[in-house]
Amino acid sequence: MLWYKGWLETRFRLLFVTGYTIFLLLFQHSVRNATPPPGGKNPALGFVMFSNPTLVLMACALLGGAGIVTQPSLQATKGLHGSTLYTLSMPVSRLRLLGVRAAIGWLEVVSVIAALCCGMWLASPAFRMLATPMEMIEYAATLIACASALYCFSVLLATFLDDQWRAWGTMLSATALWWLSTHTTFPASANIFRAMREGSPLVAHAVPLTAMSFSLGLAAILFFAALKVVQAREY
Amino acid sequence: MTDFIIETSQLCKSYKGKAALRGLDLRVPAGSIFGFLGRNGAGKTTTIKTLMGLLRADSGSAHVFGGPVTDADRSVDIRRRIGFVTEDKELYPYMTVEQVIRFTRPLFPKWRHDLERRYVEIFELPLESKIPELSKGMRSKLMLLLAISRGADLLILDEPTDGLDPAAIEDVMRELVTIAATSGTTMFFSSHQLAEVDLIADHIGIIDQGRMIVSGSLDDIKARYQRLRVVLANSAELPTRWENGVESVKQEGRVVSLLASGNVDAIVEQAKSIPGAVVEQYPVTLKEIFLEHVRSN
Repeated sequence: MLWYKGWLETRFRLLFVTGYTIFLLLFQHSVRNATPPPGGKNPALGFVMFSNPTLVLMACALLGGAGIVTQPSLQATKGLHGSTLYTLSMPVSRLRLLGVRAAIGWLEVVSVIAALCCGMWLASPAFRMLATPMEMIEYAATLIACASALYCFSVLLATFLDDQWRAWGTMLSATALWWLSTHTTFPASANIFRAMREGSPLVAHAVPLTAMSFSLGLAAILFFAALKVVQAREY
Repeated sequence: MTDFIIETSQLCKSYKGKAALRGLDLRVPAGSIFGFLGRNGAGKTTTIKTLMGLLRADSGSAHVFGGPVTDADRSVDIRRRIGFVTEDKELYPYMTVEQVIRFTRPLFPKWRHDLERRYVEIFELPLESKIPELSKGMRSKLMLLLAISRGADLLILDEPTDGLDPAAIEDVMRELVTIAATSGTTMFFSSHQLAEVDLIADHIGIIDQGRMIVSGSLDDIKARYQRLRVVLANSAELPTRWENGVESVKQEGRVVSLLASGNVDAIVEQAKSIPGAVVEQYPVTLKEIFLEHVRSN
């Protein structure tokens, strides 16, 4: 039933992210028949460089969560508030609450990325010119691996922030990191934004394994930290 | 020997240096209906949150069903046996009444479908309505349904009748007594409504400034407390020192009102020894006991 609660909690946000995905795919009509001039820039690159990483970021910010503090604290006076007291009165450990909620959000993020990549491939010849089907699968895997760090950061924030602040916190922190990664000499092996853009299989025609591994490793550390925070409050 | 479902000893909790509980000793006998009384900010909700494992006490111990609430493994089992109504009656705003019930039901193996159906009907709960569309009274009723239907051994109710109209309070109180009588469920509830506590509780505890100042069987407490009205003769003077057990002395002209919390016979004898004094004894209400203690504490 925690899955049921998690689904009810995220379904409208998933709908919003799905709507944005559909909007992006529809927008690709403008590049559908556009073939790049010889030696010119493929019009589909704009999506690879900006729109898709933005969607990944938005999905992580909106769909992440720990299932404990799920309501804004703006009107609360102190401490635990809203439905949190009811949730914690259930015979369920905080660890299980976090695990189930994080799993639901992650499945939704992966589904959105998979739908995006399938839609891109089916909707636009420009993407089919950009890469082979295998490279498109590798691109999806790259987005999923890079999203994992952002998603787990969102989960970590959810262990001590309510849903509203967590979403903003994830969005602003990731945007700042993105800006830093493009304006400073960020090591490519740790640059997950580069891996989703110019370092992606669609552009570089190679899988950014080091950046993907870095992201997955960072995700593991962040998720472990989230578990520790929750465990410390478990009694 | 009495079994205690809830037992705390020297429980202390502070918020940012401000003490909410200062060595609270609480004992709730098994099968009792225990009214937990206190002013706003006395520490009632902090106590309840600590018992539910929602807050960690700074020091002291709290046991529910004989096990420490701080034990993470036991805490889940303890919560499986407790029906809980929160103070603010907040539930998930993205769920309907039916969805909240459907979500809660499978988490409790002893869920009472019969009680669920009964209270949906009695409380006239609109199953299709979203939680934010419910009035506070309706949310209170829904929380009571969710707590009662758990088939719990212990009900912890924080201001359960908050937001209810007098008729609904009467209905809820009657239902709570029925549940306690038929299933042997222990009930621990906080309230500002002294009349409703007086109506259904068999044990009470009065907390003030984080300490338990009165606790025990309501009948014993009422039997122990007496109001004495002493009418003095014109020239008579009051004793400089009363016998032990006198909680308060108020004098208006020749009429002196004493509240005794025990040792009543000796106090009556002492009053009667005042030349020309007429002494009358009256029973006291829970309200008098409560007000006397919280004002003098």
